[in-house]
Amino acid sequence: MKLILTIAWRNILRHKSKSLIIGFILFLGALLMTLGNGVISGMDRGVSKNIVNGFLGDIVIISEKQKTDNILLNMMGTSIEPIYNYKQIKQALQSQDYLDRFLPAGKNLALALTSESNQNPGFAFMLGVDFEAYRKMFPNAFTALEGGFLEPGKRGILVPVSARNEFFDYTNIWIIPEHGALVKENLPAETQKDPYSIFIDSAIVLMGMNESNSSTDIRFPVKGIIKYRALNTIFGHFSITDIESYRECLGYFSATGKSLDVPKEEQKLLSMESGDLDALFSEDTLMVSNERTRAQAPANVLQKNTPAPQADIEDGAYNLVFVKLKGRVSEKQALTRLNKALTDAHLGVRAITWKKASGPIGGMASLIKGALFIFVMLLFVVAIIIIINTLTMSALERTPEIGMMRAIGAKKSFISGMFLGETAILSAFFGGAGIVCGIIIVKIIPLLKIRTANDMLQILYGGDVFSPVLNTADILTTLVQLGIVTLCAALYPMLVARNITPLEAIARD
Amino acid sequence: MNIIEIKGLKKDYPLGATVVNALRGIDLAVEEGELMSIVGPSGSGKTTLLNVIGCIDHATEGSVQIGGREITALNDREITGIRLHKIGFIFQTFNLIPVLDVRENVEFPLLLMKKYSGAELHKRADKLIEEVGLKEFTKHRPAELSGGQRQRVAIARALVTNPDIVLADEPTANLDSVTGASILELMKEMNRVEKTTFIFSTHDANVLQYAKRIVKIKDGLTVQ
Repeated sequence: MKLILTIAWRNILRHKSKSLIIGFILFLGALLMTLGNGVISGMDRGVSKNIVNGFLGDIVIISEKQKTDNILLNMMGTSIEPIYNYKQIKQALQSQDYLDRFLPAGKNLALALTSESNQNPGFAFMLGVDFEAYRKMFPNAFTALEGGFLEPGKRGILVPVSARNEFFDYTNIWIIPEHGALVKENLPAETQKDPYSIFIDSAIVLMGMNESNSSTDIRFPVKGIIKYRALNTIFGHFSITDIESYRECLGYFSATGKSLDVPKEEQKLLSMESGDLDALFSEDTLMVSNERTRAQAPANVLQKNTPAPQADIEDGAYNLVFVKLKGRVSEKQALTRLNKALTDAHLGVRAITWKKASGPIGGMASLIKGALFIFVMLLFVVAIIIIINTLTMSALERTPEIGMMRAIGAKKSFISGMFLGETAILSAFFGGAGIVCGIIIVKIIPLLKIRTANDMLQILYGGDVFSPVLNTADILTTLVQLGIVTLCAALYPMLVARNITPLEAIARD
Repeated sequence: MNIIEIKGLKKDYPLGATVVNALRGIDLAVEEGELMSIVGPSGSGKTTLLNVIGCIDHATEGSVQIGGREITALNDREITGIRLHKIGFIFQTFNLIPVLDVRENVEFPLLLMKKYSGAELHKRADKLIEEVGLKEFTKHRPAELSGGQRQRVAIARALVTNPDIVLADEPTANLDSVTGASILELMKEMNRVEKTTFIFSTHDANVLQYAKRIVKIKDGLTVQ
């Protein structure tokens, strides 16, 4: 081995220009491989961290009746099946020692309505939660840009910046929190010059989209404008409401509805047993106020901020239960155990991973990951071809030398080893340098705080800030990839060299 | 005792649509410790005969025995083993590994054998380097040596494994007469001291005086 490496090393030094060409390719390949792996890992970690810690948890429980697992951005109005037995589910979850926290929530699509008859309604995703519990489950999910948060027992909605902008785009109504003032700096750039041309309002009317047509439209007082910590282009569509308002909007039985002795007719109205939707569009409660004011004054919010009646909130309907796992519990194992527990208890629900629940986002992440992988593979192939070409030329040029070695007793394996040794040394030296440079760049990039608002880039970045990351496994992966490149690149030249016979050497001579 | 026994050796080379009969039925026996020269004009088949004896080329027909072992039916691994353990080569030009120094070149076959310690390798190599008169050039690379010095290194390398036979294909062809004579003297001396069988090919009549036995070859056949 020492002899092979000695000859290999000296041959590298003897053929400096060829060695430098191969070395440069290996350096570049290793550098790009490391960066690619860093970006993939950063994306994986970022998307995972932001979705798990900021929105869905590790596992999501959905109704067994729910047809698709994608519950995050299920567009086109398909509603998520309600869950009516949360209290029993809760009991089952409480007995699972590997679970850290869980949070029931309502989540569906709603139409955002305006009073203008010629305007098409917009869409908004609603997340109905017990806000206090939500903050405990996802403590750093968002910050308030304007106004505040939902108060316990009070009705209202928190509108994300993206949803406000979308709403403004199709209604020309600028949403601000109730009792809040217009913050000119937050207005879209094109309207900042003439803020008096827009309408402002402190309430939003949403009509839940429900396949049973049992929804109703509810006027939500806006309590705050929020900004999610990351992936705003995804999460930014989700307005957060109190669970009771959400239920009423979707036409579900609410806890209040259960706890109060509601007159039959009103109960009917709330649960939308009636199919006469038009009857609901009375001007008293449902439509956007026509008393909007121009932008110089805070909006006059007409909706009464009625405290919700005291009731056991968990009695009402939900759509999902977000579940967070303890520390280092394996997601796969936890999912299996949880599904078994839920099935055994005949609760009519199933648990799915956050990746499945996030549907196109998880898919998009996989797509980008796949694209990056293919890009890195293409680099591999190009690098391999160039190295093969250079080494094969080198093998043929050294026919007399190799033939003489074979003539005096060197086995084919010795000749192969010599070429593999040369490639391995170059790979270790230049590839190693490429990996080290890659690691340094990956460490530097997060310090530059490169931000993006672009949807695709946010997924690629794994959040708003470009944060590639490399862990030991990634570095090992890069080393393995480099090893494969080395082996593939050396294979053909090795075959060429080992098949050189002493006779060929004599003939060449 | 015969170290080499050749019977009815034929070697054909395809050359386009025709076939060149390089060897056309050679019968030859070489005794242990001989210093034999194969002579003949260019294209007579000297190199082909040496290549077949040296297990570098395969016979088309006939029998070749080295140390009593038939070599015509051996596989690559076995042939390589015979080249390493039984035969030493001295080629006309391409003789040494350019990236190794004199001592490393001489040690090279021993390293391939993998049966000697570092100290033993050095001892054997240094002894032979001294015998071929290159003691002061141990650390020199081939590019730093003259043609004669390179052939001396090749001789040392060919002898370092204690082979049964040393084959030299026109070892003096690229050397001036004085250097060539010194190389042949060295081979003669080694044959005397080490009792190694030497077979060298030449078409130079001046080198024949060094051989104990001369085999003439013409048109692929030995001439009496």
